[in-house]
Amino acid sequence: MSDFSQSLSVSASGLKAQATRLRHLSENIANADTPGYRRKTVPFETAFAPRDGVAQVTTGRVKLDRAELERIYDPSHPLADESGHHDGSNVNLLIEIADAREAQRSYEANLKMFDQAREMSTGLMELLRR
Amino acid sequence: MHQNLTIFRMAHALASHAGTRQAVIAQNIANADTPGYRPLDVAPFSDIVGHRVEVQQKATRISHLNGAGTPFEPEIKAMPASGHTNPNGNAVTLEEQMMHAVEVKRQHDRALAIYKSTLGILRTSLGRR
Repeated sequence: MSDFSQSLSVSASGLKAQATRLRHLSENIANADTPGYRRKTVPFETAFAPRDGVAQVTTGRVKLDRAELERIYDPSHPLADESGHHDGSNVNLLIEIADAREAQRSYEANLKMFDQAREMSTGLMELLRR
Repeated sequence: MHQNLTIFRMAHALASHAGTRQAVIAQNIANADTPGYRPLDVAPFSDIVGHRVEVQQKATRISHLNGAGTPFEPEIKAMPASGHTNPNGNAVTLEEQMMHAVEVKRQHDRALAIYKSTLGILRTSLGRR
């Protein structure tokens, strides 16, 4: 496989991984008020492509955050126990938003590299034109 | 006589060096959030060509352009640590990688421009346009 197609495939793997991360982040944010919801985290791993030896990035198994659930005092809630508390979620919106920003930044960087590899190979093809 | 012009070989080597480096940088950026990943880089082109560009180049190493051995093999090595490592062991700086990417793009464009213009000269000498 040529350098350009290697470059395109590794950038595509980065785009896919960041998109998966962004999807789970939005899932967390959507469930920020769901009682008993634990936030999901996506680990990134390096995977070597069998043929060309490029270190592509993949996402591993989704993990649940083990942090304590928030205790919310609301005696009128159907899930409330004797003390009037029920479990909230352990989603911290600030962390999710910051993480989403980072994912977006990395996504854009990957997209830029994809575009650049494409431009370079187009330039190479232009040589064939008279 | 004109089967293997040095300037074409040089342009080819420059372009393929840029291509290899592009793949390496794309790999670094894709792994910008992978825990424990150390960025890679390609040895600069000047290491291969030598600092003094003479009309008749000396081949002091087998990888040199007019050396006898393998045509051209850019060396991929780990980037020197810039002292900026994330808590998860990742040492990729996106800004730095973007700068390198721009360098690569310029190098590739330069190589193609040299190739194209030399081709133009050859065509002119053949009386075609």
